[in-house]
Amino acid sequence: MTNINHKTYAMNAITPMKWWKTWIVRLFFLYLGEVTSAQSDLKQLSFIHFARWVIVKRNQFPHITPEQPKESMRYDYLLFFSNFNGTWNEYIDAFSAVLSDGLNIIWRWSEKFPGSVPVTPFKQYIARCQFDTDYYYTAYPYATTNDVKAAHRVKAALNQLEKETAGKSPEEFAQAYLKFLVAVQCDIGETGRAPVGS
Amino acid sequence: MADQSGSVYGLTILSPIKQNPSAEVSHSCAIRKVLAGMPRDERSPFAKVSSTHMARLVVMDDVVFVGMPSCEEHLQSQYLIFETNFDGDLDTYLERMVDEIRDEVNAVWQHCWGFPGTDEVSKFKAYMKNCQVTTTFFFADVNDKTVQDTLLALQSQAAVSEFIERNQDKPPAEVQKQFAEFMQKLGNAPPPVPGRPGMGGPARMETKMVWASTMDGRR
Repeated sequence: MTNINHKTYAMNAITPMKWWKTWIVRLFFLYLGEVTSAQSDLKQLSFIHFARWVIVKRNQFPHITPEQPKESMRYDYLLFFSNFNGTWNEYIDAFSAVLSDGLNIIWRWSEKFPGSVPVTPFKQYIARCQFDTDYYYTAYPYATTNDVKAAHRVKAALNQLEKETAGKSPEEFAQAYLKFLVAVQCDIGETGRAPVGS
Repeated sequence: MADQSGSVYGLTILSPIKQNPSAEVSHSCAIRKVLAGMPRDERSPFAKVSSTHMARLVVMDDVVFVGMPSCEEHLQSQYLIFETNFDGDLDTYLERMVDEIRDEVNAVWQHCWGFPGTDEVSKFKAYMKNCQVTTTFFFADVNDKTVQDTLLALQSQAAVSEFIERNQDKPPAEVQKQFAEFMQKLGNAPPPVPGRPGMGGPARMETKMVWASTMDGRR
């Protein structure tokens, strides 16, 4: 089991849905994909690098060779994969507190979903539907989503400073440098090992 | 396209795992053994396929029974799930997997039904695409930067922190001179290595700062 690679946690969950409910979830995801402002809460949480939902219809499990036994399923399945920072409890708590409406729209069509509030039965449900990761790689293990965003802001400001100050006098440089320091002061912390427990 | 968010592609593959009841070690267990031995840092096979932001391999043993009154049902096969987030297009990524991590791909996927091997790239690509399930919704918080962009940004961020610390209270002309040298040094720094955690991390400039990671001798 390798759910954690330094600062990032790989979560997998699978929930059964009656086949005739699947299209409702699809419609919601279509809306979420088209109307990017609807993703603002997800973005503002700022601890999810990547996440995805995948609906596998009951007759869509890959069947590759004739020797492979055929699946005969009653339910469609909703798979959820997330790459997030922090602990499992923090993640579910934040999901429940900030995204409860969105989560309810997504998962209420899954069998026995208790709702995302109160959080205790929600956690019990997720724990039941979760399965462990066997191998997990990240290209930037010491960086959280916020670190990545901050680093890109610093890089952009640095490039701007270099461009603006080319051929300028020391006094003009000092002014631009001060402006740069003010702009990046919240973004220059060092990345490092994850705190114990995450 | 649901598999894509900005410039990042989200690939989801479900490869059915072979069964052999008479085998001493099941195919799923053999996969898990291979995965357990695979490094997860800069020596990871996915660090070689350097457009990979994050990737996971998971043996899904079965679906979940959530309790009555829902029906209990079971899969006929276990599935190897390959979930990866990478820059660029799918064909190039699959070709890079064959070119750069052929041995690892064979070691893992040889336990899956219908895996054609990696000798013929076209067959491998066709197999992977047969096993692909379309992502219904894909979210990437930062979806307009490549892996290399992000590693370079993290490298710059660490270097800038040091530069600022070293140049406090210096006269403007001196800071300007140091800044020109700093930008040149940063431009010439060795490219950051994907997957590398703290050990060395992003290439650092000279500094008087005591880094948390050096205090306990772990650097």
